[in-house]
Amino acid sequence: MSHPIIEISNLVKCYEMGGEEVYALRDVSVTIGSNEYVAIMGPSGSGKSTLMNMLGCLDTPTSGTYYFNGEDVREMTDDDLAEIRNREIGFVFQTFNLLPRATALQNVELPLVYSGVSKTERHDRATRALEQVNLTDRMTHKPNELSGGQRQRVAIARAIVTAPSIILADEPTGNLDTKTGHDIMALFRHLWEAGNTVILVTHEEDVARHARRIIRLRDGRIESDTVNPDA
Amino acid sequence: MRRSTEIAESIRIAIESLRMNLLRSILTTSGVVVGVVLVVVMGWTIGGLDAVWEQAISIMGKDMLYIDKWSWSGGGNWRLMEARKDITLQQAQLLASRMESAECVMPVVRLWSGSVVRNNTSLRCGILGTTNEYGQTSSAELSSGRFFTSIEDYHGAKVVVLGEGVAKGLFPGEDPIGQTIKIISEPYRIIGVIAKRGFLFMDFVDNQVVIPLESFRSTVGLFERSVSVGIKSGSERMLDIVRTEAIGHMRAIRSVPPGAVDDFSINETQAFDEQVKNIRIGIWIVGMGLTILAFIVGSIGIMNIMYVSVTERTKEIGVRKAIGARRNSILLQFLIESSLLCVIGALIAFPFAQLIVGSARYIAVDLLEQDWASVVSPLIPLDLLMIAVGVSIVVGLLAGLLPAIKASRLDPVEALRYEQ
Ligand SMILES: Nc1ncnc2c1ncn2[C@@H]1O[C@H](COP(=O)(O)OP(=O)(O)OP(=O)(O)O)[C@@H](O)[C@H]1O
Ligand SMILES: [Mg+2]
Repeated sequence: MSHPIIEISNLVKCYEMGGEEVYALRDVSVTIGSNEYVAIMGPSGSGKSTLMNMLGCLDTPTSGTYYFNGEDVREMTDDDLAEIRNREIGFVFQTFNLLPRATALQNVELPLVYSGVSKTERHDRATRALEQVNLTDRMTHKPNELSGGQRQRVAIARAIVTAPSIILADEPTGNLDTKTGHDIMALFRHLWEAGNTVILVTHEEDVARHARRIIRLRDGRIESDTVNPDA
Repeated sequence: MRRSTEIAESIRIAIESLRMNLLRSILTTSGVVVGVVLVVVMGWTIGGLDAVWEQAISIMGKDMLYIDKWSWSGGGNWRLMEARKDITLQQAQLLASRMESAECVMPVVRLWSGSVVRNNTSLRCGILGTTNEYGQTSSAELSSGRFFTSIEDYHGAKVVVLGEGVAKGLFPGEDPIGQTIKIISEPYRIIGVIAKRGFLFMDFVDNQVVIPLESFRSTVGLFERSVSVGIKSGSERMLDIVRTEAIGHMRAIRSVPPGAVDDFSINETQAFDEQVKNIRIGIWIVGMGLTILAFIVGSIGIMNIMYVSVTERTKEIGVRKAIGARRNSILLQFLIESSLLCVIGALIAFPFAQLIVGSARYIAVDLLEQDWASVVSPLIPLDLLMIAVGVSIVVGLLAGLLPAIKASRLDPVEALRYEQ
């Protein structure tokens, strides 16, 4: 295994809810290396999304350490985190989270806007990303003119357009029918084969089957962390 | 590089979101619209006032001083001035001979309620007696003929220069030069006509005739008539020196004891400037008060709508943050949106302001036939428009600041979980 991108130890996330403490994550330690393909599974409320947000530098832990590419995330300012998210992380959400008023192309260009890429280069790179997800014929369509599967492919193009270190997907097939879900999973597999690091959350065994490594969470703890024999 | 792509993106988003909520946006800007209309109309009014005033006082001559028993600007104690001794012709001539710094000095005597007669037509007008130096002042720019010479003055020649109003009144459609009129039963030959100068409350200057001082003495008489002395300094720079010298001589000539106040007045255009300054300040205070009020109301509206916009777009803000927007990027986005909203307000306001300004001038000049108002520009000057746009951008930035800060500080995870 190559050098780790993600090194988490003893991670705790605790929410304050009306004086009551809710532990979303208790003592999670995990290391994920480059070009891994990891599925995170577990029942609802087990802390999968919380862990994903943590991995994606969207949220900060209550305690524990997180080294991203060898750098201590706790030391980072808000803007440092924004920069990491911009350059190193590609998010794919269950509900796509595209900007409704922007075209597919503009949605894919957006991360590049925040890294200050020039207009022509933005256009070129976004077009190439849309080529990778087979959507060049829908570039000028707005999200409400696209099917669920197409929307998710736009979201994946947006996630890979900056060539990030990892792609994080939180239930990417959760809002799609089985057939479309398979297409999307094929896409992730393709990205992984092309050298990307992919981490995805799912509670469908069928989906998790694609991954090389399966981490199971229960009540905010890692229940098991196994190599998938099927893949 | 990053800044400029972000600004371009922010402007694109702002225009898009304003277009989405066009009616709401336009209604929101109404306070700003009123504010901008007020700023522009106020600026134009002050500019117009200045133009009118400039025109009015230029009649007196900006490089002129007039020593007189009376203060023309209405300042000072009327009773005290009444009690002053008249300025005699001898005193005026003495001053003229002693003045060194002035370009020229001329005694001027006036009969306010005189009249002139042509054949059987009589016209009431002022009669002014002075020396030939008067011909060098801006008060005596001729439209035809010539002014009288020092020789004609010396001999008391019966020659007259008409004001434009008198020429028009007695010789409609005719050339008056060479013709004869009677001033108090003495015939005078017309040698020149002074170009129209009258303006607003100064239009009496066109309704007078000018004759040599010596002729005035023999035809009208100097008995019980206070003389005023016109002093031409030659340039505005010289005014202070000339004024000081004239006061010194005049006090000596009229034997004013040291320490006592002058028993004469120095009249000059500068004194009138003080008055117009007060009017300007008045307009400015009232206008500014109304404008600030309108902008405060306007910015509260803008602030509200920006808060609504931030709430409506919480999810969008979450998405932007998730893909790498920094706090300042979000801040910038909303500040640009709020200032763009205000600039749109300004653009909506301009036609209204122009309509008000244009109608005001049209009513004054064309309907009420107030010629003086024609020196005021019918268009809002460009610099005023720029100022208005600048002010509305500032108002937009201020009004948008709190909502934009709120947006920039949203927690990305919570923003992403937000559902409408
Ligand atoms: N902002 C929050 N405030 C309070 N509690 C929270 C918050 N976010 C998550 N939690 C709690 O943390 C726990 C883990 O939530 P999380 O969303 O990570 O679960 P999950 O595994 O993604 O579930 P699902 O499969 O339903 O998406 C839950 O008990 C949840 O109620
Ligand atoms: Mg979840």
